[in-house]
Amino acid sequence: MPDISQTAAVTLNHYLALSAIVFTIGMLCVLLRRNLIVMLMGIELMLNAVNLTFVAFAHYSSDISGQIMVFFVMTVAAAEAGVGLALAVSIFKRFKEVNIKFLEHLKG
Amino acid sequence: MDISTIIFIILATIIVVSSVSVLMTPNPIYAAFSLAITMVTMGFLYFSLDADFIAGVQLIVYAGAVMVLFVMVLMLFDLEKETEAYSKGTFSVFLKLMCGLFLTGAVALSVRQSIKGLSDVAKVATPAEQVETIKLLAGRLFTQYVFAFEALGVLLLVIAIGVVAVARSRGGTHARH
Repeated sequence: MPDISQTAAVTLNHYLALSAIVFTIGMLCVLLRRNLIVMLMGIELMLNAVNLTFVAFAHYSSDISGQIMVFFVMTVAAAEAGVGLALAVSIFKRFKEVNIKFLEHLKG
Repeated sequence: MDISTIIFIILATIIVVSSVSVLMTPNPIYAAFSLAITMVTMGFLYFSLDADFIAGVQLIVYAGAVMVLFVMVLMLFDLEKETEAYSKGTFSVFLKLMCGLFLTGAVALSVRQSIKGLSDVAKVATPAEQVETIKLLAGRLFTQYVFAFEALGVLLLVIAIGVVAVARSRGGTHARH
């Protein structure tokens, strides 16, 4: 019987498991939902999961470089959200619809 | 069980529940709200990982700017129709469930494979080191990673112009008048 106080500490594996769960949920959000905006939210979830991995590795290996990478990921994520939402607005203006279920004609 | 474990369990539960509700709610506004909760809780998790500055940036950039952008764009659309378009068929639910289980298995397998060789020795930073963290971060950012930093500045400029160009474009081959 292992000592409870020894085994209960939060390790790197806990953070990696949480990150994997959130990444999976984000990917399912992109694959299963048909609303463009919710699909973009799924991408944000995936990027956040990766950020969590970076910060956890930075903490557990005492190397600050992981946090620098999080900066870059955050900037790219903000830019990606801006472009994605601009595309959604543009699509809405042309098709009057943001649900990709109804975007079935290649010719507008 | 010490206090940090309890905090981790609480935060992880909130993150998983709110991100599942992003996936499951038919109404996009509720999905955006759940996403905001996920972002804020993720910020707390960064805080517990001694990444104070990253936690602050997370709260400002994600929970602030990005979520406001999402909600603002959502307000342009007809949400009533979106909620109706959410498919509820038995077969499609089954298919979605199978997709989800398959993907979960694949991710779990790859994580299991990749963490086999890791030895997780927790090195806890002393308070003096934590004060130094932001200085250290700035030093790295403006010396070792300065090229990437400048490239990101150019990227943001291009994005700012491109977003305006895309959002107000009209005409083209697919225009509907």
